[in-house]
Amino acid sequence: MLPLDVAAYTNRWRARHPGEKAFLSLGLLVLAVALPPWPGAAVCAPVALGLLLGPAGVAGRVVWRAARVPLGFVLVGAAPLLVTVGGTPWPAWNPGGLVPAAELTARAVAALLCLLLFAATTPLAELLPRLQRVGVPAAVIEIASLIYRLLFLLLESLRVVREAQALRLGFRTWRTTYRSLAGQGASVFLRAFDRARRLEQGLASRGYDGQLRVQVVSRPVSRPFVAATAALLVAVTAVVLELRSVL
Amino acid sequence: MHIAEGYLPPLHAAAWTVVAAPFVVHGARAVVRQVRDNPESKLLLGAAGAFTFVLSALKIPSVTGSCSHPTGTGLGAVLFRPPVMALLGTIVLFFQATLLAHGGLTTLGANAFSMAVVGPWVAYGVYRLVRSVGGGLGLGVFFAAALGDLATYCVTSAQLALAFPDATSGVLGSVLKFGSIFAVTQIPLAVSEGLLTVLVVRLLVRVSPAELERLGLLKRPSEPTEVTA
Repeated sequence: MLPLDVAAYTNRWRARHPGEKAFLSLGLLVLAVALPPWPGAAVCAPVALGLLLGPAGVAGRVVWRAARVPLGFVLVGAAPLLVTVGGTPWPAWNPGGLVPAAELTARAVAALLCLLLFAATTPLAELLPRLQRVGVPAAVIEIASLIYRLLFLLLESLRVVREAQALRLGFRTWRTTYRSLAGQGASVFLRAFDRARRLEQGLASRGYDGQLRVQVVSRPVSRPFVAATAALLVAVTAVVLELRSVL
Repeated sequence: MHIAEGYLPPLHAAAWTVVAAPFVVHGARAVVRQVRDNPESKLLLGAAGAFTFVLSALKIPSVTGSCSHPTGTGLGAVLFRPPVMALLGTIVLFFQATLLAHGGLTTLGANAFSMAVVGPWVAYGVYRLVRSVGGGLGLGVFFAAALGDLATYCVTSAQLALAFPDATSGVLGSVLKFGSIFAVTQIPLAVSEGLLTVLVVRLLVRVSPAELERLGLLKRPSEPTEVTA
């Protein structure tokens, strides 16, 4: 399983309504992106991280592992702001780029933590069926749910195939590596379509009428949680605007 | 190449969402129509989406020493057509954001435009072009995957450049900066993805011709006609 998905099923907010968690984390995400990076990001990032590690109870190790790769992209992506091209010398150090690069990094880190707050607390299996309420067509939700269910089976198949190939020295040279990778791609394709065909036959024999009905666990919306979230979002906005006028 | 969460300024994030939306909505409509006419295709579309997601979990060795993953847009576009890929690609990007923290929700529009719209359309156009001038399946698939990948990388560089123009030379200089910094990994990756896709398709032609016929990639062999005396 994927570490973020495991966290989504094991965190302390597991039993909360996905809408509550979406309101909190996506609300914070909008603030992190829309408010001026300084001091907006400096306020949103610790709030999101604090909620993740504190009330939601997600392990710091999981957060770090999920954040590593996107952080690498952000740092590599911020570097071009520090140089300028087209003048002499070519390229030249751009001292004016230091502040925008720092702001960009801060905003991206804050936004990433807000995304992780959502991803590490909300199981997609509970979120997807509820998306119909916000206007996503039922067919699209059903396809997304099928993708979600199939992808873990396929990832596991891929892992097993990769291990089998490694045990047979399949990654010894570039040539064998490419042959093994092609084998992985093709076997995943075959397994995906084989699964789909078997599902199709299984459903057809059970009177499939074009609708994939799944039971959605009903979760009551907690009014105190929603009220506290609204208060937090207002407080974050107020603090950021106040700090901005002072600093 | 996913643009990370929060990387784009709010106006750019919103603008790219608006730009990508018509393509995704068009894809969704095509899929809804297809599913209404043929409910079984829902399962195949689910398989296609899961396959696209898992393709990006393959680890291609890169000449720069690190490992990169293929985008899968080229193969997806050739197998499932660009309108379907616009929707499936966007769903896959949403899953990559929420399951792997690759990409993001505010940058979903920008990433969808480069990876689920431009990449597949370029790949499919190139594939049709190569096939129409007499190129074989392998050649068509190679150029589709490699150029689809390159197109994605060019669009992403342009998106980053528009958001952060260079202090001296403006957007063009910035395209050059972002383009060259990511070229180190993306150009070898495009060639690798092209080669890998050819190998995958060759293998599929050998082991699963029926599925490729069903998807329209291979022509059905003509039915033998009975000759009566």
